[in-house]
Amino acid sequence: MSTKASAQPGWPLADAVGPAAERLSPRDEDRAFWRLRLRLARNMAREMLTRMRFRLTLIVVLTGLLWVGMFWMFLDGFAFLEHGIRHPETLDQTIRAVFSMFFASLMVMLVFSSAIILYGSLFRSPEVTFLLTSPVRVERIFLHKFQEAIVLSSWGCVLLGSPMLLAYGVVAEAPWYYYVLLLPFLLAFVYLPATLGAVACLLIARWLPGRQNVVLVAVAAAILGGVAAMGWWLWTGPENDLLTAGWFQEMLGRLRYCEQRLLPNWWLSSGLLETARGAWSEGLLFLVVLIANGLLGRQVCTWVGGQTYRPAYNALFNRRGGRKRSRAGWFEALLGRLSAGLSGQMRLLLVKDARLFRRDPVQWTQFLIFFGLLALYFLNIRRFSYDRHYTGWVNMVSFLNLSVVGLLMSTFTTRFIFPMISLEGQRFWILGLLPLKRETILWGKFLFAAGGSIAPCAGLVLLSDVMLGVAPLILLVHQLTCVVLCVGLAGIAVGLGARLPNFREQSPSRIAAGFGGTLNLVVSTLYILAIVLLTAVPSHFYLVAQAAGESRMLDDMALPDRRWLEFYLTSGVIGSLVLGAIATAVPLWIGFRAFRRIEF
Amino acid sequence: MIEFHEVTRKYSRKTAVDQLTLTVHPGQLFALLGPNGAGKTTTIKMLVGLLRPDSGTVRVCGHDMVDQPQRAIESIGYVPDQPFLYDKLSGREFLEFVAEMRGMDRAATAANIARQSENFRLDEFLDDLAETYSHGMKQRLVFASAFLHSPAVLVIDEPMVGLDPRTVRLVKDLLRERAAAGTTVFMSTHTLVVAEEIADRIGIVTQGRLHFLGTVPELQAKLSAHEASLEALFLELTEGDRRKPEPMPTPLPESS
Repeated sequence: MSTKASAQPGWPLADAVGPAAERLSPRDEDRAFWRLRLRLARNMAREMLTRMRFRLTLIVVLTGLLWVGMFWMFLDGFAFLEHGIRHPETLDQTIRAVFSMFFASLMVMLVFSSAIILYGSLFRSPEVTFLLTSPVRVERIFLHKFQEAIVLSSWGCVLLGSPMLLAYGVVAEAPWYYYVLLLPFLLAFVYLPATLGAVACLLIARWLPGRQNVVLVAVAAAILGGVAAMGWWLWTGPENDLLTAGWFQEMLGRLRYCEQRLLPNWWLSSGLLETARGAWSEGLLFLVVLIANGLLGRQVCTWVGGQTYRPAYNALFNRRGGRKRSRAGWFEALLGRLSAGLSGQMRLLLVKDARLFRRDPVQWTQFLIFFGLLALYFLNIRRFSYDRHYTGWVNMVSFLNLSVVGLLMSTFTTRFIFPMISLEGQRFWILGLLPLKRETILWGKFLFAAGGSIAPCAGLVLLSDVMLGVAPLILLVHQLTCVVLCVGLAGIAVGLGARLPNFREQSPSRIAAGFGGTLNLVVSTLYILAIVLLTAVPSHFYLVAQAAGESRMLDDMALPDRRWLEFYLTSGVIGSLVLGAIATAVPLWIGFRAFRRIEF
Repeated sequence: MIEFHEVTRKYSRKTAVDQLTLTVHPGQLFALLGPNGAGKTTTIKMLVGLLRPDSGTVRVCGHDMVDQPQRAIESIGYVPDQPFLYDKLSGREFLEFVAEMRGMDRAATAANIARQSENFRLDEFLDDLAETYSHGMKQRLVFASAFLHSPAVLVIDEPMVGLDPRTVRLVKDLLRERAAAGTTVFMSTHTLVVAEEIADRIGIVTQGRLHFLGTVPELQAKLSAHEASLEALFLELTEGDRRKPEPMPTPLPESS
């Protein structure tokens, strides 16, 4: 113990124990955190501008294209309403219904997204461990993470809302101050649902600690139940035929429920519509109502945060210590049986990934919610009675449904499959030291993604086709297209995931939101569009020609035309198979090549 | 000063810390030792305010950790076993943020950062983004941030993990210096040699209970093993809590 009590030179003993730290005022704390955010933002911007110009350009261009596309769509939609509805009062009611419904949906999504984001950042982020052991008021820590959650959950709201509101302003010839007030309106609006989400998150963590899985499942079930009830209520027993004036009036009446005057979406809709009409004082009044309520909400949730955050953090740890026994052995046994033809190593990798998926409710609840919503829509599809109006619609709608299933799957492969290699890379010492070829790891991911997606997607497409009553040939084409889509999407996600991994990031959502994830989503979307167009367009014309022939309207259709359509249909199917094979093989080849050389 | 008074903390049905009563006085360097899962990290988390005891009290410089957590934390410098840094801040910016939160003015901040930079040899990377640091560099920076405000209490979880031998020596010297100057130092470690070399007092905890509290000579006297090292004493004391090791599996015959 030679060093004991041997004070070394260089550390003045006089100030060895410093004076008690001066407590920061709330205003100074606020300044310190703003300075922190500015520094983080500045460093990130500098890095992007110097080292990631290509990525930045691609993100800006893609976002810009998306924005312009949405703006054009909304512009066209509002112009259609403006020209189609002659009666000014009905037009006003329609626009109000569109606004209220749109913002009500955004409000519900914002409540859930802010609650989920805040849960992750308040209770799972390493930053809060650092902040909770710093001399900062707990209210400040909560506010810091709350404001971060608002930004993360509301940028999508601004991205979706701004083209619609600008398009409406153009069509309605709104005055200049309408455009000036758009952003303040949107920002004031997003604060309210985020507040509700934050309070819900804190109370659940405080009073139902460790039951977040139960809460997630309950929320998923509530969303599905709510949407099912709403769909049933909207679509049951319409007195009038689809898209007639009477049907339209009936729908407007039924949508009145989202125009409750106590709801923030009504304040926002009314404020924007009044401002667009030139009634700026009424518009400002609604803006002030939104801001005042937003500030009140902020005060309430800061108070709740101050009271419950530390106890909630502590309570969550209480539950974490409990041992959880593995369940659902039947699931793994089934997987084992299904993969009986594969090598032992491959089967083990598949079971490992399936276990990780099963134990991460964030993954399967999202899967459940979105696939459940689609299933509900498909089950109710007969109520739209497309076949009564135009036979061609059945085919068109069936292919649109197929595209929606594919697009939904592409968001899942981007969110969950693409980051798998990056996350595996962080723990590569486990797999890397096993007597296992690197290729086996990638094949395992590919089989997991393709195998896991084919069954739910094919099931959904089958449900849609059965409800629409499509021809057996088209049903077969859809099933084939669905398999091609799933295999291709899995190949793209695994291949690009291995080619563009991000080993620094721990969070799969952040990996998916990065350059590689964005590229994966874009490539997947283009792939889906190409495959669906290759099979949908020829099938559509073939069916139209067939229906016309059956109704003897086009009995004199020339034989070469029919042959040409058959050729077109066959080559479309073959083309989609070839494209599917290329889209699967090329990214996988690129991924394998990169993965063999990668250094961890 | 650190005071644990009859502190118990459970996770579900498992008791992680059981009736812990312990006082560490100013100027004392205390090392908490114990096998994995003995309750060391839970003890430290209660000490820095991340967890609350189910019963009993934890006080730091007279402030109760449950009733006045912020007051208590103001006196603490904490080095966790897994250091957190903002990836997109440079080391200097991180230290400036910590100093600002500690209420230091600009002049004091600059002087303290310069001193810690010299102590922990941070100069060569202090202005780089933290995302480029190795584990050891991160650990040195976190040490610097904990020492920045000359705290009355230093709490260190596994201080030597990831540090190179030169920094290990430096940290050991600094901890002794701080204790000699009146700082209360509380560390948890598996590195028994470090505890033996620099600790004034040690506590050995197994299955949540404090089995021994005193100096190394007192432990030697208790176990009647006057020449034994701390490692031997630790193993003897904790033997009853350990299962006998499983026999090594017979190696598979090599395939011909």
